[in-house]
Amino acid sequence: MITTVTIVIPLLGAILMLLLSDEARLVRYAALGVAAVPLLLATYVYFAFGGNLDAAALSQDVTWIESLNVGYRVGLDGLGFGMFFLTTLLTLIAVVASWDVRENLKQYFAILFVAELGMLGVFAAQDLILFYVFFEITLIPMYLLVGIWGDENRRQAAIRFFVYTFLGSTVMLAGFLAFGILAGSYSMDALSTGGGLSRAAQIAVAAPILFGLLVKVPAVPLHGWLLAVYVSSPTSTNVVLSGILPKLGTYGLIRIAIPLLPEGVEPFLPYIAALGVVNILYGSFVAFLQPDLKALVAYSSIGTLGFILLGAASGNAVGLNGAVFQQVSHGLYSALLFILVGVISVRTGTRRISELGGLAGRMPWAGGLLALGALAAMGLPGLAVFVSEFMSIMGGYEAFPVQGVLAAFGIVLSAMYLLYMLARVIFGPIERPAYEVSADAGPVEMAAVVPLAVLLLMLGIFPALLVSVQRPAVEAVLSALGGS
Amino acid sequence: MAVTGETFLALLPELVATGFLILVLMVGVFAERNMGLVAGLAALGSLAVFGSAAGLLATGFSGSFFGGGFVVDGFALYFKLIVAGSAFFAVLAAARWSGYTGDAGEYLTLILSVVLGSMLLVSMRDLFGLFLAIELATIPSYAMVAFDRSRRESAEGGMKYLITGVIASSVLLYGIVLIYGVSGSAALADVAEAFGSDLSTVAVIGLVLLLSGFAFKVSAAPFHFWTPDAYQGAPTSAAAFLSVAPKAAFFAVLLRVLLEGMPEAAPTWTAVMAFLSILTMFVGNLFALRQRNVRRMLAYSSVAHSGYILAAFAALQGQAIPTAIEAVLIYSAAYAVMNLGAFLVIDLVGEDAKSFNGLIRTSPGVALSMLVFMASLVGIPPLSGFFGKLWIIIAGAQSGSVAVYVVVGALVINSVLSVPYYFGIVRNMLFEEPAGPVPAKGDSGAVRFSVYALAVATALFGLLIIPLSALVQGSGLL
Repeated sequence: MITTVTIVIPLLGAILMLLLSDEARLVRYAALGVAAVPLLLATYVYFAFGGNLDAAALSQDVTWIESLNVGYRVGLDGLGFGMFFLTTLLTLIAVVASWDVRENLKQYFAILFVAELGMLGVFAAQDLILFYVFFEITLIPMYLLVGIWGDENRRQAAIRFFVYTFLGSTVMLAGFLAFGILAGSYSMDALSTGGGLSRAAQIAVAAPILFGLLVKVPAVPLHGWLLAVYVSSPTSTNVVLSGILPKLGTYGLIRIAIPLLPEGVEPFLPYIAALGVVNILYGSFVAFLQPDLKALVAYSSIGTLGFILLGAASGNAVGLNGAVFQQVSHGLYSALLFILVGVISVRTGTRRISELGGLAGRMPWAGGLLALGALAAMGLPGLAVFVSEFMSIMGGYEAFPVQGVLAAFGIVLSAMYLLYMLARVIFGPIERPAYEVSADAGPVEMAAVVPLAVLLLMLGIFPALLVSVQRPAVEAVLSALGGS
Repeated sequence: MAVTGETFLALLPELVATGFLILVLMVGVFAERNMGLVAGLAALGSLAVFGSAAGLLATGFSGSFFGGGFVVDGFALYFKLIVAGSAFFAVLAAARWSGYTGDAGEYLTLILSVVLGSMLLVSMRDLFGLFLAIELATIPSYAMVAFDRSRRESAEGGMKYLITGVIASSVLLYGIVLIYGVSGSAALADVAEAFGSDLSTVAVIGLVLLLSGFAFKVSAAPFHFWTPDAYQGAPTSAAAFLSVAPKAAFFAVLLRVLLEGMPEAAPTWTAVMAFLSILTMFVGNLFALRQRNVRRMLAYSSVAHSGYILAAFAALQGQAIPTAIEAVLIYSAAYAVMNLGAFLVIDLVGEDAKSFNGLIRTSPGVALSMLVFMASLVGIPPLSGFFGKLWIIIAGAQSGSVAVYVVVGALVINSVLSVPYYFGIVRNMLFEEPAGPVPAKGDSGAVRFSVYALAVATALFGLLIIPLSALVQGSGLL
């Protein structure tokens, strides 16, 4: 019941937004209030049920479409809870970070909340059709957020995003339907470990599902929509777009493809691990070449998503724990970096790395936090990303040594471009053309960023905060894999 | 076959419709100035028809009347609800338009007579009664299409519709006569005995002519060519209504004829349906891609959607039959809400694609509703069109026939193919600069209300599915 309430509140919030008057202050405070409620509920769930997410109070199973055996089945488990929590947190932060949205503010928040509804639903769905419905609910809102409030290239970006991901998810639906029809149910419980399908049938079903999920991530050859979308979006959309949206794909991989079709994905696992490595290396190489700070962060984000693929494909405890953890830590650090890029570009009027410099002196807070985010991105011990990347690499190496070694090499590459960027932007001299910094990050900006930095540190120092929650669910996945 | 009180009860929706039809006509003649009264009566009438059909459905009323020629069951009542519900919204839109021209009385009477014909149609279990009901539903619709005297296209569209419609009717009648000749009776139960698994040549010709006649009526390719001209010429409310209500009734009665009248001949007609379905989808979508006029585009889109529904007919075999019937029922309701909504938005905004430019800024509520309709026509969840397609795909997958798999594959391809033209409108609404002044709100309150109500129904169709599929399971076609 709590889960359902948490999912529905954003919808009520969206309706509330549309009913409000146009006064900007009122709209912002109301949006803050709406966004805070799911976060509080998720926090409550963590403290009250953290060790026991199977509790009946969290799940619901209502027959929806009887003749097709589709149900409104929701519940939380360790695989999804981290992202469920992060979705509520990042939506709140997106509301705080919406300073560059000025037109049609209440429509912006209403659409953002509809997107939140979809994302929360994905991480709670326990039914394939319901999962797909929530998965697609995010599509139109993200299209609108980018298409209406993005920068001058938003039009093409939004259309690309739509076409790629709609195509991917349609293919994924075909896989889901085939799976459900062959197995006679869409309930994830009933379908665990293949739902009685033969190995060949599982492979045939897994292929389209994996394709759809990998487009959403995006895994590298399928990433054509990403850069334009990330760069065009307003800052607060970036928070959601990079922090949560890719995880719809990786979560589907970990929650649906691997445990429900263990024999079907097995032949694909080495390739998924390889795709993960391609993501890591490609993201790092291309990030090196970006003149634009936002594009650099975007490619860095693609790169570190690769660790999730690698860890998930490893099929062992360390790797899977790392992958589930990396979903959260990736969300934290990429949201942090995108917000800071937004702050810096507003204050300095440029995003070009070659034009920036000397932020350490001029914007010590923003610059310092940018350095923290970049250090997190390169996997510095003590920060959350280190824990999860390290685990993913360990797990990946154990299963696929070549991919594991190459992934570790990726960390070196990411350190290179990030340190180069820091040297230039934070400590470098101010060269052409000199710009004026209006002020350091203000209280609103800090309020958006500091919670992320704190969580990065907390999870880096006490990973058990999250690992303890996810461990039982990861063990369930492992037993599904082992049982095949 | 005595006429008893129960007979009147069985005919209650039709009787209510007839009563209001006469009332609207009379009031239109004698209170010519008071168009508001006429429109109110027509709207009230469609609600009363809806209510009486819903009442019959709620009490579980069913039975066979007039010597078995007229049947009331859950299936028929379900479609009567669709017809009456869409009539209500069409009347709201029609009242505004015909208020300008001053012929509200006549125009609204025509709508109510189409309602009457369509409702009789879905209850028919006799081929000749069926033909009469079809004519009762279509003859007023020719007049509706040609009703806009201020535009040449209206007369042109009406003329084309009339000529092709009459040809279609004669083809249909010829088919009915041949079937009658083979089976010696027009009752579907007797036809079923004559139509065994091996058909005589005359029976096949009769079947093919019958199907061709229906293909005209539901605008399936290659008999679809009247559709764009008729819908472009017609007053918007007429196009909106005719593309939804009579069409749903045609599909319903076709389903009844095929399942009750010739179940043994299923291999023949599912093959014909599979062919028609694929052809219709591709023709509808490929032509829709080229349109700049939104009304014409929606006309071709309605052709494409007929193709999708025909895919469910192709899947009427083996263990897929119950799901395929549900697919037709659910798709008809899903299509009714989204397509009516889209046409009514045209009524508010205009039919040139350019008039949608920047609508999100000038009129955000209508723009968001149109977005919902367009996304639903594409088939994006959780909107109504998604559920329609979901049922068809599942029925196709259950049918176990390779030909139907091909049809379902074509449906998926066509859904992606349709994205550019539906989202072309969305692109204009979101990304283009507003073209002209904000369209005046004026007296469009009722149409706006309809658009919002239909957008909500489209968006929350996933919740409507629960009562709908409960209804559907209670329907007694099998």
